[in-house]
Amino acid sequence: MHTDARTLENGSVVAGDLCIVGAGAAGIAMALEWIGAERRVLLLEGGGFDYEPRMQELYRGEIAGLPYFPLEAARLHYFGGTTGHWAGFCSTFDALDFERRDWVPHSGWPIGRADLDPFYPRAHQVLGIGPYEWEAEQWRRRDPALVPFALDPKIAWTKMWQFSAPARLGTLYREQIVGASDVHLFTHANVVEIEANEGATAIEGMRVRTFEGKELRFRAPRYVLACSTIQNARLLLASNARATAGLGNGNDLVGRYFMEHLEMPSGNLVLTRTPAPATRMYAFEFGRTKARGEMALSPEVQRERRILNATVSLEPAPLEGAAQSTFQWGTPEVVERMRTQRVVPDAAATADSMAVRAEPRTFHLMTRQEQAPNPDSRVTLSGDRDALGVPRARLDWRLTELDRRSFRDFYEVLGREMGRAGIGRMQMRDWVMERADAPWPSSLGGGWHHMGTTRMHPDPKRGVVDASCRVHGIGNLWIAGAAVYPTAGCVNPTLTLVALTLRLSDHLKSATA
Amino acid sequence: MHRRHFLQLASVTTLGALASGCRAAREYDALTLTHPELLKALGAERVRTIGERYRATTRGESDAESLRQAIDHSRPAASRILGAAGPSVADLVREDFEKGRTVVVDGWVLSRTEARQCALYSITRPA
Repeated sequence: MHTDARTLENGSVVAGDLCIVGAGAAGIAMALEWIGAERRVLLLEGGGFDYEPRMQELYRGEIAGLPYFPLEAARLHYFGGTTGHWAGFCSTFDALDFERRDWVPHSGWPIGRADLDPFYPRAHQVLGIGPYEWEAEQWRRRDPALVPFALDPKIAWTKMWQFSAPARLGTLYREQIVGASDVHLFTHANVVEIEANEGATAIEGMRVRTFEGKELRFRAPRYVLACSTIQNARLLLASNARATAGLGNGNDLVGRYFMEHLEMPSGNLVLTRTPAPATRMYAFEFGRTKARGEMALSPEVQRERRILNATVSLEPAPLEGAAQSTFQWGTPEVVERMRTQRVVPDAAATADSMAVRAEPRTFHLMTRQEQAPNPDSRVTLSGDRDALGVPRARLDWRLTELDRRSFRDFYEVLGREMGRAGIGRMQMRDWVMERADAPWPSSLGGGWHHMGTTRMHPDPKRGVVDASCRVHGIGNLWIAGAAVYPTAGCVNPTLTLVALTLRLSDHLKSATA
Repeated sequence: MHRRHFLQLASVTTLGALASGCRAAREYDALTLTHPELLKALGAERVRTIGERYRATTRGESDAESLRQAIDHSRPAASRILGAAGPSVADLVREDFEKGRTVVVDGWVLSRTEARQCALYSITRPA
């Protein structure tokens, strides 16, 4: 079912069995799970089915600390959420990503990779990616041209990525959700306050306001907040009628530990072997490539060098060519074209591109590195309010010396291994070689990946949600999405956040059975 | 021939052969040392830049003789002193990477030997 919330009477109260706030990757993945579950699910989406500038404007925020991408351009505020312009990059977290690492402050999840293993294949289905195969050799069997570099697995390995079409969930699942009798989608239903009971131990409803000035209430025994990392924190902090510091924020943790992936051009690779080793495994054509490899360091090396996890992709390019970070080439205009243009490239252009890249010998190296959890990297409320009266978000993105040092160590080790294996020589960019306390370069960039802010930890003094993703101290509020990540891993968050959402969905189903 | 004369002659002959082998090895190296394999992949200008930076930042390795000696000293004693067939420069480079004898010059992660080769190249083939 679908209702445009603007058509409801002012003061209406809508009741259901489960209320999901936000219809992006997490919200839609969860709603799909409840189709046929014989429960009445309320799915609240602030936007409509299409892009609306005034909805995006609600996401505008203040940037403090390190330079960051405009918040209103980094997330999409309509049905389908940010999958409306994502690039479809998927990979799984490594087992080490979940572990407590004594060299990474605040690391360690209360769950392990094995807890997510049953949900990753289901997440594949939601996102429309290929088989649940994540070993390079598995892909080589599918396509003999995909040959991984002969690296010593004790040092480095080829980590696989898979690419969604990319799936625009708003388009893919609109008909299914709107046609479901037990999931009721409300569009243009912007939540302006999470209403709690007097002791702030339970949620009593979601207060929704429309641009036309109507106020509505949505009530259910259970609530799931799934409106993105920054907006989740913003809404919890702004809902301070019963708890002055905001809901779930009794220990001043909501909004802290905001994390990004550092996606930066960091070096060059020149192949030295004759004939050159095959590099097809590492090639990527947007809209066409189903899987490719990136190079990563083994868990043993990460432990020994006490560094963060990272992968590096190869981009065919002359050594002289200037390289730009994601934020430098991905202007808001470029990102907007990701949403509006066809994703399958022109066939002739692709043929040209493949011809040029037939035998590349030189590459730019693009690193994707996790950010170390940092309590001072945080989202707070701005003094400014949006058109619906909600305080805007203020992002103070901060990095640490560990983030910086890890880059250099990564390239020293991988460069040595590439030389040892006779593959080629690697060159670090100047900024990689600078001291760990040096300012970050202008090429600082991220993946538009927002994580943290309501991190998972069994101890309420160290995390906002518990291992089931329930907000500590509030009996009926859960959070879905990358906001609950205690650490960021080095791969794009979407696949894992969908897997986590499916796990949460199963948990809620068993709780309501 | 007296036994003592025989031994003296044999010693002289052996030492001569060893010296000759040593010279041959060093002459072989002299031809290859100044032409690093990296030239094919990186080109003369980059190799020259790497070489100049290496010389500027590595104490005691700024002239051709010290660089040749440094490479020579990195060879196993059997080939360095006795003139036994020693590892090729390519073998030295490979061994450097295996044993972690790498340096970072101009951002490049290189074997110590090939960095020295680049330095020699920058001397023998200045811009």
